Amino acid sequence: MTVIHPNMTDEGAKIRARDVCVYYGDKKAIDEVSIDISPNYVTAFIGPSGCGKSTFLRCFNRMNDTIGAAKVTGLIELDGEDIHASQMDVVQLRARVGMVFQKPNPFPKSIYENIAYGPKIHGLAEKKADLDIVVERSLTRAGLWDEVKDRLDDSGTALSGGQQQRLCIARAIAVDPEVILMDEPASALDPIATAKIEELIDDLSGRYAIVIVTHSMQQAARVSQRTAFFHLGKMVEYGPTSEIFTNPIEERTKDYITGRYG
Amino acid sequence: MSSSALPNTTGTQASSLGPTRTSTFERRLAKRYRAERNFRLIGMSAVIFSVAVLVFLLGNMLINGISGFQRAELAVTIDFAESGVTGDAVSLTAPSAMQTLEMQGLPDVVTFFAEAQLGADAAAEISPEAWRDLANALAEDPDLVSRSKTFHLATSSALAAGLQGEGAPETQVLAQRLAQDGKLSRNWDWGFLARSDATNPRSVGIWGALKGTMLTMLVTLVLAFPIGVLSALYLEEYAPRNRWTDVIEVSISNLAAVPSIIFGLLGLAVFLALFPNLRSAPLIGGMTLALMTMPVIVISGRNAIKAVPPSIRDGALAIGASPIQVVFHHVLPLALPGMLTGTIIGMARALGETAPLLLIGMRIFVATPPDGFTSPATVLPMQIFLWSDEIDRGFVERTSAAIIVLLVFLLAMNGLAIYLRNKFEKRW
Repeated sequence: MTVIHPNMTDEGAKIRARDVCVYYGDKKAIDEVSIDISPNYVTAFIGPSGCGKSTFLRCFNRMNDTIGAAKVTGLIELDGEDIHASQMDVVQLRARVGMVFQKPNPFPKSIYENIAYGPKIHGLAEKKADLDIVVERSLTRAGLWDEVKDRLDDSGTALSGGQQQRLCIARAIAVDPEVILMDEPASALDPIATAKIEELIDDLSGRYAIVIVTHSMQQAARVSQRTAFFHLGKMVEYGPTSEIFTNPIEERTKDYITGRYG
Repeated sequence: MSSSALPNTTGTQASSLGPTRTSTFERRLAKRYRAERNFRLIGMSAVIFSVAVLVFLLGNMLINGISGFQRAELAVTIDFAESGVTGDAVSLTAPSAMQTLEMQGLPDVVTFFAEAQLGADAAAEISPEAWRDLANALAEDPDLVSRSKTFHLATSSALAAGLQGEGAPETQVLAQRLAQDGKLSRNWDWGFLARSDATNPRSVGIWGALKGTMLTMLVTLVLAFPIGVLSALYLEEYAPRNRWTDVIEVSISNLAAVPSIIFGLLGLAVFLALFPNLRSAPLIGGMTLALMTMPVIVISGRNAIKAVPPSIRDGALAIGASPIQVVFHHVLPLALPGMLTGTIIGMARALGETAPLLLIGMRIFVATPPDGFTSPATVLPMQIFLWSDEIDRGFVERTSAAIIVLLVFLLAMNGLAIYLRNKFEKRW
């Protein structure tokens, strides 16, 4: 039922999902989705509102566990390990699979504390000096260091929306994850802040496997190398971004891309 | 949209005018503004009325209560060297000094010097408990036993009334004579804040009840706050949503509305049955009031936790925080100001509570301040209740003074809680 483009020669999958279904009570939000996420590329999930792309993304770090009514079936593997297996610890999983949310959600603490929180609770940096290095490195990678280095003690919530979102990205990379999930990271931002986030995603790709959910097809076209199109809880088509946008196989993909609905 | 689709309210007006430019619309607009003005006026008068009532209440209390901090006193110079009272630093500061001095005839010493200096009729009007002031002075400064000192001693109710132009004519004359000699005057009685209950309104004090209140409130806070906060956290963050938690939720809401005297009965039946020799103790009083305060803290705590944005929880979880780290690093600090607000309300209610404490025996005459959580004590509202019941007119002013002390204590407690709340308050 899903069309996978034949000329994807990706070797090795960071995340392998097979026949994943998600139920909210009796409602089936995701219907048997199987996908391989490559470690070397940015993968974009596109589709109309309510198609389940965010729900599917939240399966990868088991954030759906926090929703009482949600039930996930099927197999999801990170580097070949089943993430639902009993020996897989959810805290460790989330340290390996970071997440950035739609609305910037810095903690109401200082900028420094926001970044240092993850390394601190995981014991990645014991001494203050080590922590300082982690904070500087994370903020530098998120392109925020020059803007905030003189006011690390200011509250994270006092930053502008775009800066807050980059702070959240810096917070996610401070624990050195293997995968970063981004749930419409730029949808609440203005075009200039969006451009900065997209630039940042570009810089980070290669170092981390990145999966991004987006409403904007242009954004998917700009930042991703792989695109999956979701519709009504099903993955309709998955392939290299350039192919999906220029030469879609499925009729529904073509209609969505040309703006017939969505 | 075409104009024909709109309802035609223009009447005889030219149909070329839009529906918002007609006289009907303008009349409606004027009516809307009038309604708003009226509403503001009503709101403002309600606020002014409540402020006026508050000012009247506090002003009245203050005017009546100020005289409660004063008392009529007779100046008597006591020469201890000639009095025959003996003692040294050890015996005068010993706990038994009071009895020793009484046996040495200190009450008679007071009468003797008063008769010599003021005359027999005035000496008879000195409070029979006045010698205790001398004993306290000796305990503070044992060297005084070889010197003389002028004491301002409490008078009887009759002489105090006479000074204010009330009571029997002969007492009024006596009072006037003594006042002209500079022997009788109304002085600030700071001892009111340091003494405890007594039978004579001139020698009563509030310290015993105030200390009892402090100890009781401390027990209440130490029990109700952690238990209330932890219950709220468990119910909101961990407990599964099922019939049992629904039952618990309804029970807590009902508990907050139970009349306070029922909690007193519970304290009587449970706590006093368990600890029968702790009757009237601040510990039992605090436990009873904690039962009453806890539901308020739980309810406000749950609301405060619900108000913490889910995005903060998600952010912490997504970075790999365990549920308990999410609760204690993120949810609790953000919910604490709201929880403190609930605690203020609950504690203020407990502070003014009399009914449950009646039943566990805190309606007692406490002449010495409680020296711990287990010694008999009374509390401020109970003291006010006891004094308001007295026949002696001098207690009326003392009652008002006690009310002022209660209100000041309440304001100080709330002030501290509001300071803490603002300190912890964070925006997100």
